[in-house]
Parts: sequence; C-alpha cells; structure tokens
Amino acid sequence: MLDEIILKLKRHKNKAIILVVALVVLDFLIFWQISGEGRTNRDLRIYFLDVGQGDSELVLLPGGVKVLIDGGPPNSRILGNLEKIILPTDRYIDLVMMSHPQLDHFGGLIDVFKRYRVGAFLTNGRKGEAQAFADLEKIIEENSVKTVVLAKNDVIRYENNHFKIISPDKNTLQAKELNDTVLVAELTSNNSKTLFTGDIGVNIEEELLKVFNSPIDILKVAHHGSKYSSFGGFLEVLNPKVAVIEVGKNSYGHPTAEVLKRLEGVGSKIFRTDLDGIIELIIDGQTIKVLKNI
Amino acid sequence: MASFWPVALIVLITFLAALIFFLLFIFEEKKIFVWLTVLVFFAVIGALYYAWDDLNFRSANVVFGKKTDFKGVIVNDPSLKAGSQEIVLKLSQPYSGNILIKLARYPEFHYGDELNLNGIIKKPEPAGYERYLAKEKIRGISSFPKVELIGSNRGSGIKAALFEFKNKIIGSFQKVLPQKESAFLTGLTLGGRSEFSQEFKNAMQLSGTTHLVALSGYNITIIVWAVMGLLAYFLSKRLSFLLTIFIIIGFVLMTGAEASVVRAAVMGILVLLARELGRLYDIKNAVVLAGLIMVLFNPKVLAFDVGFQLSFLALLGIIYLRPAIARFFKMGEEPGFLGWRDNFLTTTSAQLAVAPVLIINFGSFSPTSLLANVLILGAVPVTMGLGFIIAFASFVSYYLSLVFSWLAWILLSFEIFIINLFAKLSLTFSSALSWAAVFLYYIIIIGFTVYVGRNHSKTQTS
Repeated sequence: MLDEIILKLKRHKNKAIILVVALVVLDFLIFWQISGEGRTNRDLRIYFLDVGQGDSELVLLPGGVKVLIDGGPPNSRILGNLEKIILPTDRYIDLVMMSHPQLDHFGGLIDVFKRYRVGAFLTNGRKGEAQAFADLEKIIEENSVKTVVLAKNDVIRYENNHFKIISPDKNTLQAKELNDTVLVAELTSNNSKTLFTGDIGVNIEEELLKVFNSPIDILKVAHHGSKYSSFGGFLEVLNPKVAVIEVGKNSYGHPTAEVLKRLEGVGSKIFRTDLDGIIELIIDGQTIKVLKNI
Repeated sequence: MASFWPVALIVLITFLAALIFFLLFIFEEKKIFVWLTVLVFFAVIGALYYAWDDLNFRSANVVFGKKTDFKGVIVNDPSLKAGSQEIVLKLSQPYSGNILIKLARYPEFHYGDELNLNGIIKKPEPAGYERYLAKEKIRGISSFPKVELIGSNRGSGIKAALFEFKNKIIGSFQKVLPQKESAFLTGLTLGGRSEFSQEFKNAMQLSGTTHLVALSGYNITIIVWAVMGLLAYFLSKRLSFLLTIFIIIGFVLMTGAEASVVRAAVMGILVLLARELGRLYDIKNAVVLAGLIMVLFNPKVLAFDVGFQLSFLALLGIIYLRPAIARFFKMGEEPGFLGWRDNFLTTTSAQLAVAPVLIINFGSFSPTSLLANVLILGAVPVTMGLGFIIAFASFVSYYLSLVFSWLAWILLSFEIFIINLFAKLSLTFSSALSWAAVFLYYIIIIGFTVYVGRNHSKTQTS
C-alpha cells in the first residue's frame, strides 16, 4: 500500500511538488489575511493622494476602517495610489464619500468601484453635469453598492472616531454652484481634528464660521488653493497646524500665491501633492507625523 | 495609383521567370520545373489579388483634413487606456471606410453604438503607422472630436455578447487583483496590452517576453482541453467536437482575432478535424493552410503584420529547428524539472527563428531573453489555468475567486518581477540590419537544420 503511494508520488514528482508548494503558500496567505483582519493599529492615518489636478483622500481609522473621500479625475492614478497603501490582497473599502459631483472629484471613483468592493457610497444627493456621471451611477448600481445621502448634522461613528457633516444644509444644497453643495466633513479621532472642505468658496466658509469657533489640527485646503477660498478670517479661526493642498498641473493658477501667503500668515505647515507626492499623516494622539512621497 | 508600377514590375518579372522555368522544363524534362512554373503563376495571382484588395480599401470615401460632420457605428470592442478610449468607427453614408477615433475616457462607448461626430479626420503618420492601420483596414484617425450617442446595438448580436462576456471576465480579474497583475493576467488569457503602462510594455520588449501576451496555441490548447473534457461527459463525441469548434471560433472573435491566435485556431481545428475524420494530421500542411487562409482573408498581413510574421517564424523554428538543436547538442527528450529543458529548447529555437524580425521592427534582440523565458514559461500554464478558474469561480462566488486570486497573485508578481529584472539585464544590440544579412542568417539556419537532419538519418541507417 505505502509502496504504491510512493511509486505514484515518484511518477508524478513535479505535480506533487507544485501541489505541496501551492498548499503551503495558500496556508501562509490565509494566515496573513486573518492576522491582518485582527491587526489593531491604533494610529489614525490620513493620506492625501497624488492624483493630479483633483482631490482624493484616504482615511484609515484606528482599527483599520477605510474611508475614501473623492477619487480625483478619470486618469486611473488613484489605483496606483491605493495599491501603495492597501495590501494587494485586500480588495475592500468600507466607505466611499463623494464631496460633490464634479469630474475632478468623482472621475477616479469609477475605477475604484470597478476594482474594489465598497461598503457604502456617501453623497450629497446632487447629480453631476459631467457626462461621466452616468457611468458612475451605472457602476454603483451594477455592483449593488448601497448609497446614503448625507447632509448637515449627520454623523458617521466608528468606536471613538466621528465624521461630522457640517455642510450643506437644505438651502446650500439647492445652490446652482456645485461647489457650494460640498459635503464638508470634520473628523474627530485620536485627539485630533481634521477638516475636509472639498471645493468650497468664501460664502460657505462664512456659513461654517457660524458653527465653528475652535481651532483644528489638519486642513484640507479648499478648492486646490483657489484665491476665492480660504479667506483670512476663516483660517485665523481654524488655525491649522498642517495644511494640505491637493493640486496638479492646471491652467487656473492653483495653488494661488494669495492662499499660500494666508496659510503662512496663520503659521500652518504647508504640504502640496504636486510637490510632495502622496502625503501620509500618522496621528497617534500626541503628535502628527508627516511623510512625503511615500 | 502609386502602387501600380511596382505591381506591374512584379508581374513582368514573374512572367519572365515562369517563361524561363517552362522552357527549362521543355529542354531538361525535369518535373521540378513544372512545379516552379505553377508556383510563379501563383505569385502573380497573389500580387493581383493584393492590388485588387488595396484598390478596394483606398476607394473608401473619407474627407481628410477638414472639420466635418460624420456618422458611424463602432465595430470594435473599445480599448480602454488610463485617460482615454479608442474606438474603430465604420462610417455611414455619404462616407465609407473605417477610422480610428480617440475619445475621452468617459462616457464609455460599446461595440454597436451609433455615433454622431464632428471633427477632423487625419491621414495616419508616419508611413509605418499608416501601413499598420491599412492592414487593420483603417483609413484615417481622429482625436477627440465632438461626439453624441444616437443609437446602440447596431452590430452583430453574437459579437456584442462575446465582447460582453470577455469584459465580464476582465472585470472578475480586476475585482480580485491589483492593477498590474490583473492587466498581465488579462494579457495572458485573453490577449491585449491596452491596460499596460508604457514602462511595462518596454520592459516586456527588452526582456523578450512580449510573445506571452500574444494569444497562441497555448490558449487554444487549454480551451480545447477544458471544453472537450467537460463536454465529453454530457454530449456525444460528434456534438462536443462541433461545439468545441464553435467555442474556438467564438474565442478568436472575442479576443479581436490577432494573427497569432487565428493561426493557432486554424491549426487547432485541423487537429480536431483530423481526429474526427480519422486522418493523419500533418503539421507542415496545417501551417501552410493556416497561412493561406489568413492571407486570403487579408493579403496585407503577409507584409505588414509583425505578429503574423513572428507567429509563423516562431512556429517554423519550433517544428524544424528545435529537433535539430536537440540532436546537435544531444539533449534528451526528458522535459526536466518544471519542464525547463523543454522550455529552453522551445524558446531557443523560436527566438533564433524570429531574431532578425525583432531587430528590424523593434531595434533590439536580447540573448538574456532565453533565461527570462525559461524562468517564466514554467509558471505560465498554471497562471493561465488559475486565470480561467478565477473567471469561472467569479460566476459562482466572489470569495471563491478571491481565494484563487491569491495564488495567481504570487505567480503573477513573480512573472512581473522577472520581466522587470531582465529588462534591466538585457544586452540589446540594435544595429541596423541589411537585407543581405537577414538572407544570409536564414540560409545558415536552414543549412544547419538540413545538415543535422541528414547526419541523423545517416547514423540511423548505418
């Protein structure tokens, strides 16, 4: 009996070797996956992705929940960015939030929905005017991703981490200007505050000041550093320690000298995705560590 | 009518040659001269056929260099790049002919969509690109014209379904694998390089591994094997034979009918046919028949399709040169661990056969590609098999396909690593080659093959 098995094994030596190697490797991979699930990294990590002229931010909450805000323009660069951060075998993103339906914010999300499974899609509910918006709606439907419409005062909570939506309200959501409808989100996590502002302009910033009176730590600078955003009074109240401008090659003069000067005026450390590549912030509750070109 | 004089010259020369051969036959009375006469006449018929085909192609009505309104139907499966998509449009009345159009990445268009466009159609440049597009039956190109969708499903329903099926499979790879790996797996199983970065395309060329993503006998064999194996349980022999042939043809249409896969499909069908009819399969005849069918279908492939030339030369190298090399170096027929000896012999003979064509067309040929291929080829069948398993598993359950993708990921990363490594290690020599040198090279290769073959039969008889 044993001789027979050995004989058979000898005859199919190559196949047996391949099979054993494959099984061992698969074993390791499964263990890697399981241990990855339970990995309790207690740092908050915020990535400002290098997607050219457009916005895209990935937030890894303590415990590993992934929240992607915007996907940049439709140039597929977001995929290369995500693959540098997320394990190659991890194909799941918990939440994808679209700040507002403009192409330089949602274009790359179509690729994300094609290639990743997504827990839920968060939006302000407005429809985009760009032709590609129909492609986005189609891929979301094809993958039966749940869509949730958010507005002012909605909160997303995971353990002790909160995303609080502070704009738009009923009125601003109806605005003709899509930039006024941006889902502005304030993230409170690991003893830090971060404000995601999308493309808002001065008028919305003034609205925000009505509810905002405390400083924050990290600011995603509005509208790629346009001079019609980030006015002095707003920056003085927020007084961000770290200010990140997401910008690429463009014909609008972004980021403008005015905004850079205003940010310097309030003492913010400025980082730019066009110069610094992917920017990673690691927040452990005491300090903010900034890594460039990861 | 620029092509008139060369054609006339060819016809004249060949007629003269035919006359000489015929006279030789009358004086010498050797049968070979009859064959040569007939052969030369076939060359004349071929040249006329080519001229006729080219005239047809050029008679299409396209307006060049002027802003025009035009209409048409998409006849290809649009190829998607990072920031754009490329469609082939068959123009509707009053115009005719096919043009290649570059459009923004979104909205995504599909095979069979009917479009209204406004833009400038240009003649392709330089000449080499024009000849390549002419081979694809494309007259002009247009970049980012204004576009409006006015209808869909105007193409063949079968083709539309096949393309949709293919894109489902590609989608299943993209869902479980990172960008590079899924693009490479797509190339291995379904062909196509549109998703590859320029860097990776260069790396494949430098390392001499581009042929991996040209569909070939490998793919056809796997399909035949899988389909016949499955169907034989449920259906009669005759029925499963017919179905397999339909599936092969479907696969060829679905993947865009590049030269290498058409060649492999014709030869594969001949193998099946020979078995079904109880006839002997002769690979030499099969090669010639495959070539004949392809040239009849599109006479331009012979001269302007590098894929066609590479595919046939590589195959001839494997059929004739491989046994000669094996005998000359007294290598046994044992495949070796993971088939390394097998892969080494096959790669060496194929690469030797195609080297001049590679140098002329791509300006480089790397001897280190032998090692790269031996290292990769052992893993390729398993990777392709896993690719098909992932695709089918995805129809059952996403998680099932995910588990298989982990194994595929390891192999794919290994293969991509080897390709990038050997791209750096490649010793390219990129001197221009004269036609005389190419001619001499092939004379030497053929001479070697014949010499070894003769010696071998002598030692056998003695």
